[in-house]
Amino acid sequence: MNENRRQILEMLAAGKITTDEAERLLAAIEPETATAGGFKGTGGGGGDAKAGSAKTRAKYLRVLVEADEATTGMKGPTTVNVRVPMQLLRAGVRLASLIPAQAHEHLDEALSQHGVPLTLSQIKPENLEELIDHLEDLTVDVDGKEGNATKVRVFCE
Amino acid sequence: MIPSIALLRIENQCWHSPNLWVPLFLLWIPALLLLPLLVLVLAGLSLAGGVSPWRALGGLWDIVSSLPGTHVHVRAEGNTVRVRIL
Repeated sequence: MNENRRQILEMLAAGKITTDEAERLLAAIEPETATAGGFKGTGGGGGDAKAGSAKTRAKYLRVLVEADEATTGMKGPTTVNVRVPMQLLRAGVRLASLIPAQAHEHLDEALSQHGVPLTLSQIKPENLEELIDHLEDLTVDVDGKEGNATKVRVFCE
Repeated sequence: MIPSIALLRIENQCWHSPNLWVPLFLLWIPALLLLPLLVLVLAGLSLAGGVSPWRALGGLWDIVSSLPGTHVHVRAEGNTVRVRIL
């Protein structure tokens, strides 16, 4: 038993904190355990798999794009394979949170004009970790239809 | 961990370059020499934008130090470019 856990239990035994407070404190010092428990509670058949993925966190975001010459207008197929460390994404979002509030409106407007309905002001440092954690479960597969052989895959590994 | 080496490889239909090892760690020598100036410029820009200079500096450092592990591989018109940052 580690020192923090022992202190919380001693405070509970001494009546300095309630059981609810002790539970919250224990969950705060053991975020991994709490997350895994949450997945097991909410998940159906895939609960164990999700708990496993919480233990082995994804390190990279992978983007694969394959396009044929009919789509790109270039000779031969075009492929893009990018592997971005999740840490870089975290740093990027953290840096984006430094954008002054005055610039948010202009950025949001420009993004929506280009078909990205994203509100930058909603990305805050406090929900950054949650955002990245949910990104780890993200998988996007796009296959072109009717003669368009473009394939896009976005996933974490 | 700061990026120390970039691995670059360029190929086309009739020519393959060897793996080019770009020693990024050598860039840290001029960067360290220019550090006081860079910090001053960054602090000025941050204050002008109403952002804490420490947070801005921390953000930039986070970006640089999380670059290792980045791979980019692009193939178009028979030409291939591969970049790996170690």
